Amino acid sequence: MKPARRRAACLAALAAGLLALGAPLAHAAGDAAGITLGLALEPPNLDPTLTSAEATEDVVYSNVFEGLTRIAEDGSVAPGLARHWTVSPDGLDYRFELRPGVRFHDGTPLTALDAKYSLDRARARDSTNPLRELLGPIDSIGVAGDLGLVIHLRHPLAELITYLGWGNLVIMSPLSSARAATAPVGTGPFRFGSWRKGDAIVLERNDDYWGEPARLERVTFRILPDPSTALAALRAGDIDGFANFPSPESLGALAADPCFAVVVGSTEGETLLAINNLRPPFNDLRVRRALSHAIDRSAIIKAAMYGYGQPIGSHFPPHHPAYVDLTGRYPFDPARARALLAAAGYPQGFAVTLKLPPPYYARRSGEIIAAELAAIGVRVRIENVEWAQWLEQVFKNHDFDLTVVSHTEPLDYDIYARPGYYFGYSNPAYAALLERLSRTLDPAERSRLLGEVQRTLADDAVNVFLFELPKLGVWRTGLHGMWREAPVQGIDLSHVWLEATPGRSAPAVHAGRLPLVLLAALVALGALALAAALGRHASPRYLAGRAISLALTLLAATVVIFVLVDVLPGDPAAYMMGLNASPAAVAELRHEFGLDATPLAQYLAWLAGLVHGDLGQSYTYRVPVSALLAERLSVSAPLALLALALTVVIAFPLALVAAARPRGRLDACLMALAQLGLAVPNFWLGILLILGFSVGLHWAPAGGFPGWDAGPAAALAALTLPALALAVPQGCILARVLRTALGEALGEDYVRTARGKGLSPGQTLIRHALPNALVPVLTVLGLQFSFLLAGGVLVETVFSLPGIGRLVLQATEQRDLMVVRSVVLVLVATVVAVNFIVELAYAALDPRLRQESLR
Amino acid sequence: MSAAAALRRDLGLGLAAAVGLAVLLAAIASSAGAFDAGLALDIDARLAAPSWLHWFGTDALGRDVLALVAAGARVSVGVALAAVATGLVIGVPLGLGAAVLGGVADELASRFGDLVFAVPSLLLAVLLAATLGPGPGDAVVALGVFNIPVFARVARGQARVLLGRDFVLAARLAGKGRLSLAFAHLLPNLSGGLIVQATIQLALAISAEAGLSYVGLGAQPPAPSWGRMLSEAQTLAAQAPWLVWFPGAALCLTVLAFSVLGERLRDHLDPRAGG
Repeated sequence: MKPARRRAACLAALAAGLLALGAPLAHAAGDAAGITLGLALEPPNLDPTLTSAEATEDVVYSNVFEGLTRIAEDGSVAPGLARHWTVSPDGLDYRFELRPGVRFHDGTPLTALDAKYSLDRARARDSTNPLRELLGPIDSIGVAGDLGLVIHLRHPLAELITYLGWGNLVIMSPLSSARAATAPVGTGPFRFGSWRKGDAIVLERNDDYWGEPARLERVTFRILPDPSTALAALRAGDIDGFANFPSPESLGALAADPCFAVVVGSTEGETLLAINNLRPPFNDLRVRRALSHAIDRSAIIKAAMYGYGQPIGSHFPPHHPAYVDLTGRYPFDPARARALLAAAGYPQGFAVTLKLPPPYYARRSGEIIAAELAAIGVRVRIENVEWAQWLEQVFKNHDFDLTVVSHTEPLDYDIYARPGYYFGYSNPAYAALLERLSRTLDPAERSRLLGEVQRTLADDAVNVFLFELPKLGVWRTGLHGMWREAPVQGIDLSHVWLEATPGRSAPAVHAGRLPLVLLAALVALGALALAAALGRHASPRYLAGRAISLALTLLAATVVIFVLVDVLPGDPAAYMMGLNASPAAVAELRHEFGLDATPLAQYLAWLAGLVHGDLGQSYTYRVPVSALLAERLSVSAPLALLALALTVVIAFPLALVAAARPRGRLDACLMALAQLGLAVPNFWLGILLILGFSVGLHWAPAGGFPGWDAGPAAALAALTLPALALAVPQGCILARVLRTALGEALGEDYVRTARGKGLSPGQTLIRHALPNALVPVLTVLGLQFSFLLAGGVLVETVFSLPGIGRLVLQATEQRDLMVVRSVVLVLVATVVAVNFIVELAYAALDPRLRQESLR
Repeated sequence: MSAAAALRRDLGLGLAAAVGLAVLLAAIASSAGAFDAGLALDIDARLAAPSWLHWFGTDALGRDVLALVAAGARVSVGVALAAVATGLVIGVPLGLGAAVLGGVADELASRFGDLVFAVPSLLLAVLLAATLGPGPGDAVVALGVFNIPVFARVARGQARVLLGRDFVLAARLAGKGRLSLAFAHLLPNLSGGLIVQATIQLALAISAEAGLSYVGLGAQPPAPSWGRMLSEAQTLAAQAPWLVWFPGAALCLTVLAFSVLGERLRDHLDPRAGG
């Protein structure tokens, strides 16, 4: 076969192969009865009885799991798995009658024993359930027949029926509760489908549900922590809505758009400027009252929340019938605040630190609060902390002056009576009040007592009560049944349905292994071939020497990385357990993670695992790190390769055209352009590209990654803009390097000989100068690939791609030390390996350098 | 070189110098509090488009964007200068020592340099921030650590070339010790190359610091920082594009100015290197 035809045949085969790869995966997507919702935070796990993380309950409450009772949208308690219950007149005996014919998703029938098991599990001494202490009054739980549950209390507990409707007390089967964190099995209208870490969670309809079946066949929760990508995904139609949108500034534009419905409701979240009551000067009531007078709630709501949210005067939500409006107790009055400070002995004010956790309402309110306090002489230093640091420093160690946080659990005024809670508030009268409230069953009396609760907290100015956190619901018009209010943590999807629209398809989200395996195989083969080809040019002794040097470098790397990561303060176990964890539970989890061994033992265990190719187990997700890495590599590696290809596409024409007429006007122009291009920050370019091509022209998705299952075309489309943002600066750098190298090559004698032979300048350039200029180019390309793989984290953040860089960022935030250690090591090893290959290539390509390198 | 080309070169150098000077002045002025008035919150004037009152518009809290951009120079330049200084002060002696002592010391220094380059500086900064708490110090340490091998390599490379020269051999014959040789004789001859590298590293450090600020590391609010301004501007980009344009352009121009300065300095101080 002639060479040209052979080449064409190869190309055709390649194209056919690629199409074959894409085709069967492409039509796996598409199902008009499914919806995709955005989630601002990824749940640490899917067991709501282990953690009070809001994200967990958002996914599973009343969808996968159900409790004995259920909280309806208006906050009232409705029957759940218990269809009926009676309370004895003295309030000490409860008898529940469970529904017949209920089955768990694995087919086992629900009996009263499962209910007893679940509640006993929650209140056990070593339980990590956030409600464990509140269930203290329960004396015993027994069963009466198959479907009867009997609870006996030591003293009345008026809130018991409500507690049973919360996500922390859902009913599980002992056969499946151990795996609930990663594979939850409940009784709800949806069953757990899949969880692609860092990307999406899928729920499928339970067709054997005991009640009215859900109208949706499938629900996908996509994790979009970034407000800008969330907005872009919503506009692009990649998601159908957000139960609670993390970006209030965009709501105005969305509300004006007829395609979207903006439904703002209330939550049970009280946003506070929390004060450390034990630390001077805050132990003085006058100082705390001064702070309350200094804060203008309306300015904060206007500027930080764009007008959404209701001001509050105490730790109680305004929509509750027993709410008392105490916002006027400390009106905005800087003069009075200053007078109070002076009376307390601080006429010059004082300096404080304000620690702010990640949520947008905390960070934005914090800046305004700092300015308002500065106006009364209180000099504020802002410290933005991650959740792990906040939990460690503020919540556990009480090492703070002020902080802004939102407490979203319903009816959580009991935290003010909890000994050792981070507010440092201790008031026996208040504790007695709560005790009385707990034993009071009469609604009118309860209402009166709740009013007293609110007044006490306001009078003591325990914290500065800012506003009730609003529920910013945004979804496509045509999506019905989503709740306006959030009386409990959770997103109830049981009655949600979507009007049929033509041509809609829900993206399937199962990890596509095949393209990744192929890619890895290709890369490995290529590297092996390269090493073999180059190895011919070097002596075995030289290669062996370099290989040993490589191994030693990697060993040194493991030590350095282990020490660096081990020094991180903050406890992974505490982070996972959340705000209401008991110290015993946290210690239990630490033991499970092996964190209570000595550092040396931990290092050796890790090293031993590495030698076997075992990168360890992620603390947060409880899956092997290598699995996480493989998923993320399927995004980062193609991105780096695509960026590298675009780099070459940008650099070569630029440099070649410039070198064609050296020192001419075009040369100077193009090189100046390259100089400008390399000064452009890649993340700024990314934002501009989104503005132009996504928001403006709708030519490309604005962020996120649909997965290789959606077909190679869709996946590559999502990687195009990010690769371009990465490639432009790198391409300009490469262009300048190549131009320099070409310039040098063009000055050599052999070029003059070639021209003398009669070759045109163009031919000389391509055939003689270019091959000799490739040596430095290859070096730079090798270095750039390593940089692109790990250094792409900025661009990954701009476009919200689930890549390796963001994996390390998120793992560090979550204190998932195993992931951080192992992934950083893999990155370092890749760089070292690539440099090794580049060195070999350098020697192989340029015989002049071989002598040097062999020494 | 033709007159037009010479003019273009000088124009480029002149512009770069002007921008660099402006940025430095802005940084100093900001430390002296020149822009504090514009940085005050003015909630009612938030998200105003550029106008005669606010040349660059206002941000989400009503602050004047021109004041923010000018004040942001302080963080960018400050962190970059500190990081480059760290690299110089620690890296140059290391590189000189490796060149002069040779052997195992040289090999170790090379391997260590490889290791440092292999760890992405952004991830190092993330780990530091998680350990020490966020702040400009993390950025300085992370970028400084990255700069050490850069200057060590430059110093080592140029020192090795110089070691073969006659004046060095003469000094050794006269009995000068290796280390005093390094500092008394080699260092002065390296200064040209080091100045060039320092200017280029400054440009890279400013860019890197902006990247760190973008992900939330580096200077904390309310200190203005170009990277953080860009991060906050992303959700508002459609409503208030000036919040994306101005800080980004300032960043781009500053990096450009310093890299052009570095290149021109190289042409003057070390014409044989580069092209």
